[in-house]
Amino acid sequence: MKKLFYYTAFFLAVIALNSCSKIDNYPAPSDTINGSTIDEGTGATVQTEIGGGGTRVKLLEISYSANPTPEYFQSMQDGTFNDDKIFAATYKVSVEGPFVPLVTTDNTGTVTADSSQTIKLTSKATLNFKVQPFLRVQWVGKPVFNADSTVTVQVKITRGTNNANYQQDITDINLYVSNTQYDGNNNYDPRYSKLVSYSGSNGTALLGQVITITTTGGALPQQDVYFRVGARINAGLDEYNYNTPMSVTYP
Amino acid sequence: MKRYNYTLLITLLVSLMACRKLNIPPKNIIQDPDVFSTPAGIQAYMARLYSELPIEDFRYSPQRGLNFFWIISPTPATTGEALSRDQTSSMQEAFGSWSWDIWGGSYTTIRDCDYFIQTLPSYASNFSTAQVNAWLGEAYFVRGMTYFALVKRFGGVPIVNKTLNYTVGTSTDELKIPRSSEQAVWDQVASDFDFAIANLPAINGDDGDGSRANKYVAAAFESRAMLYAGTIAKYNATTLFDGQKNQLCGIPVSAANGYFQKSYNAAVMLDGIYSLYLKSWSSTDKTAQYQNFVNLFSDAGSNESIFVREYQYPNSVHGYDAYNVPRQLIGPNGYSSEVNPTLNFVEMFGGIPKNSDGTIQTLDASGRYILFNNTMDLFANAEPRLRATVILPGDAFKGQNIEIRRGIYTGPATGGINPLLPAGSKSQYPLTNLVVSATASQTSYTLPDGSLMNPAGLSGIFTGDQTCAISGFSVRKWLNPNLPTSQVLENNETQTWIEMRYAEVLLNRAEAAFELNSGGQKGTADYTQDAFNIINQIRLRAGATLLTSSGSMTIDTIRIERRKELAFENKTYWDLKRWRTFSKEQNGTIYRILMPFYSSEAGKYFFDARTDERNDVYTYDPRWYYEQIPQGAISKSPNLVQNPGY
Repeated sequence: MKKLFYYTAFFLAVIALNSCSKIDNYPAPSDTINGSTIDEGTGATVQTEIGGGGTRVKLLEISYSANPTPEYFQSMQDGTFNDDKIFAATYKVSVEGPFVPLVTTDNTGTVTADSSQTIKLTSKATLNFKVQPFLRVQWVGKPVFNADSTVTVQVKITRGTNNANYQQDITDINLYVSNTQYDGNNNYDPRYSKLVSYSGSNGTALLGQVITITTTGGALPQQDVYFRVGARINAGLDEYNYNTPMSVTYP
Repeated sequence: MKRYNYTLLITLLVSLMACRKLNIPPKNIIQDPDVFSTPAGIQAYMARLYSELPIEDFRYSPQRGLNFFWIISPTPATTGEALSRDQTSSMQEAFGSWSWDIWGGSYTTIRDCDYFIQTLPSYASNFSTAQVNAWLGEAYFVRGMTYFALVKRFGGVPIVNKTLNYTVGTSTDELKIPRSSEQAVWDQVASDFDFAIANLPAINGDDGDGSRANKYVAAAFESRAMLYAGTIAKYNATTLFDGQKNQLCGIPVSAANGYFQKSYNAAVMLDGIYSLYLKSWSSTDKTAQYQNFVNLFSDAGSNESIFVREYQYPNSVHGYDAYNVPRQLIGPNGYSSEVNPTLNFVEMFGGIPKNSDGTIQTLDASGRYILFNNTMDLFANAEPRLRATVILPGDAFKGQNIEIRRGIYTGPATGGINPLLPAGSKSQYPLTNLVVSATASQTSYTLPDGSLMNPAGLSGIFTGDQTCAISGFSVRKWLNPNLPTSQVLENNETQTWIEMRYAEVLLNRAEAAFELNSGGQKGTADYTQDAFNIINQIRLRAGATLLTSSGSMTIDTIRIERRKELAFENKTYWDLKRWRTFSKEQNGTIYRILMPFYSSEAGKYFFDARTDERNDVYTYDPRWYYEQIPQGAISKSPNLVQNPGY
C-alpha cells in the first residue's frame, strides 16, 4: 500500500513538473517598425488625420503565403509611424493614404507599379516611403483674429502629383477648428468650422491661389484653439490632405 | 457460476436486440421523406426559407440588423430622412452587434435553398409537375434574394450553388471558396430570378396574398437588383482585384447599359398586373388623396402590394408604433418619436412656400418672421403625400392635434419679430424673451390675456430630454391610426410590411429608362417619354404638381421623386448607397429642422428654420460603400480578401 502511494505521488510529481515546464506560448511581440511617409516633392512628411480615416501602414507576412491576410497599423497625424509590438518575420510593407498608391493596378487588375518595401524584421526597422500626395495644403502666413473674434486663415493648395489618374477636381476645402491639435475631418467643432464643397471645376480653379477662409458661427470662445485646412479630390477613399495644425493665442 | 451464465445470457440478449434496433432511423430527427413527401412538409420548409429571407423590414436597423425587435436607431435617422435622439451620426451597418449574422446567416439560407433544389426532384413523384416547378422557383427566388443581400453589402462574394459536405479527417481547402467578381454575383442574382420567373405561376398556389413569391414578385425584385447593379457599374469608384484578377469590387462601366436594360425589361413585365392604389383617391379632393396614400399601407386588398412580410401575434411581432408615435400618444412602454423627419426631407415636397434657393420661407421680405394663426397654416397647400408621410406640426392624428412647439416668445411683437439668431447660426437659442420646457411635465405660462399655455407642445419640443419631435416633425407613414394607445407596445404589433410595391417598380423602370437614354440606348419605346409618364403617374396619385415636359427632367428629378415616394420604407439607405451620393450628401452635414414658436405678444405662431440644435454632424465615409467582411469569416476561410480600407 505504501509502495502504491509513493508510486502515485511520484507520477503526480512528474506530471506536475512536466506540465509546468512546457511553456507553449511565444514571447510577446517586441520588434519595431517606424518611419514616415514623405512627400517626394517637398521632403516633408504627409499630414493626415488620426483614427481610421488617415494614413496607415500595411504589413504582409509573406514568408508562409503569397496572399496572407494583411495587418495594418495607423500612422500618426504628422505622417510618422511607430509600432513596437510586431513579431520578427518577413514583411512586405507599404502605406495607404491620401497619396498615389504605392501599389497600383490597371482596370483589369494587373499590378502596374509596386514600391512596397520587403524587410526581414529583426528588432527594428526604419522605413521611409516617398509618395506623391494628391494635394499639398500650405499655410500663407498665420491665422489672424478679426475684430469680431472670428479667425481668418490663408492657404495655398497645389497638386502633389502629375499622375494622370489623380487629377480629379477638388471636391472640398474645409477649415477645421478644434480645441485640440488632433484637428481633422473626423474631429472638429461644427459650430465654427467652415466646410465648403465644390462642384465641377470650381474648386480646381483655386489651385495655386491664395485662398482666404474665415470661421463661421460668430466669435470663437476664449480657449485653446487649433486651425487646420483639409482638401480632397474624389480619388481612392476620398481622404483629405492637410496642412499642419496651427494654434493662435486669443487676443 | 450459474449467476455468471445468467448474466452472460442477459447481456447477449440485450446486445442482440440493441443491434437490431440500431437499423431504424432515429425517431426524433425529421428525415427527408417526412419533409419532401407532403405539401405540409414543403410548407414547413418554405416557412423557414421565408423567415430567413434577408429584407429590411419593421425589424431592421443598421445598428442592430435584421430580425431584431428593438428599433431605436432607425434606418431613416441614418439617411437624412429623419433625426432620432438615439442616432447622432452617419453609420455603416454594425454587423458586430447584429444578432442575425449577415455572412453566416446568409450562407445558411443559401445552403437551405441548395439542399431543397437538390432534394426535391427525387421526391417529385409525390406532386404535380406544376407544384414542383413552383416550389423550385421559390427556392431560386429566395437564393437570389440572399445573394442580392450579400452583394449589395460586400461586392463580390463566394458563389456556392451546391451543398458542401465535410468528411471528418479530410482537407478543408475545397470548402474555402474565394470571392467571385462582383459582376458574377450580380449575374447569379439575375439568373436565380430568371429561373424563378420562368418556373413560378402568376399567382402563388399555396399563398396568393403576396407573402410568397410568384412570377411577378421575382420580376419586381429583378428590376430592383439590376438597377442596383447598373448604378454600381456607372457610379462606383472603388475597385478591388484579387490575385487572379477577379474584380471583387466594382463592375466595368461597359456593363451598365446591360443591367439597366434587364431592370427595365423586368419592370415592364408587371405592366397591367399590378397598379397604383387609388381606391379612395379623387382627382379634385386633396383630403381624399391624403387618405388614399395613408390607406395604401394598411389595405390588405391593395393591388399595389407585390411582396409583403406578414406578422402574427405572438410568434412574429414588431413595435413600429410604440417607437414612433408622437410624444403625446406615448404607449405604456414609454417609447415614442424615434423618427423625426428633417426639414431637408420636407423641403423636397411641393405646396410649401419656398425661397428662391428651395428652402422653406419663414421670413417676410423685410427679414421678419411671418406670423400664423395656426401652425398648420404654413402647410395649408402642402402636397397630400407629404401629410400622409409626415405629421406636420398641428396636424390631426388619432383624433388629436399633434402639438409641436419649441417655446413661447415673450418679446415685443409690434413692428414684427426679428430672427432669434443670425442666419446660419448653429448656436443655442438665447433664453431672453423665451419660455421653454425641459420635459413633458410643464409649468404653464400666463399669456397677456390671462389664459394659460404650456411653453412646449404636447409632442415637444422638450429641451432637457429628447423624447419628442426634435426636428419639429414626426413620422406618419406606417403608423396605425386605429391602434388604441394601450396597445401601442413593443412586440405587440402585426401590421404587414410591404417590401415591394408597384410604385417602386415604376420608379425602377423610370430610372432605368432615363439611364438607358443617357447611356445612348434607343429602345422600341421612347425611354425619356416613358420615364416622364411614370413620374407624372406617381405625382398625380400623390397630389403633387405634374412635370410639364420630359425635356426638363434630370436624373435628380427621378431620384427625388423616388425618395419622396419610398421614404421611411428603408429604401433610401440603399439608394444613396448605390448612387454613391451618400458621401456627398453626408459630408460634414448638419440636418435642418423647423421650430414653431408662439409669440405671446402677437398671439400668433412663427417658424424658425435652422440646423439641428444638437449639432450632430453626419459624415459618410466612402469606404462604407463596401462593407467590411466580418473578420470571423476571413479567419475561417483565409481565401476571402477584405474590402478596401478595412
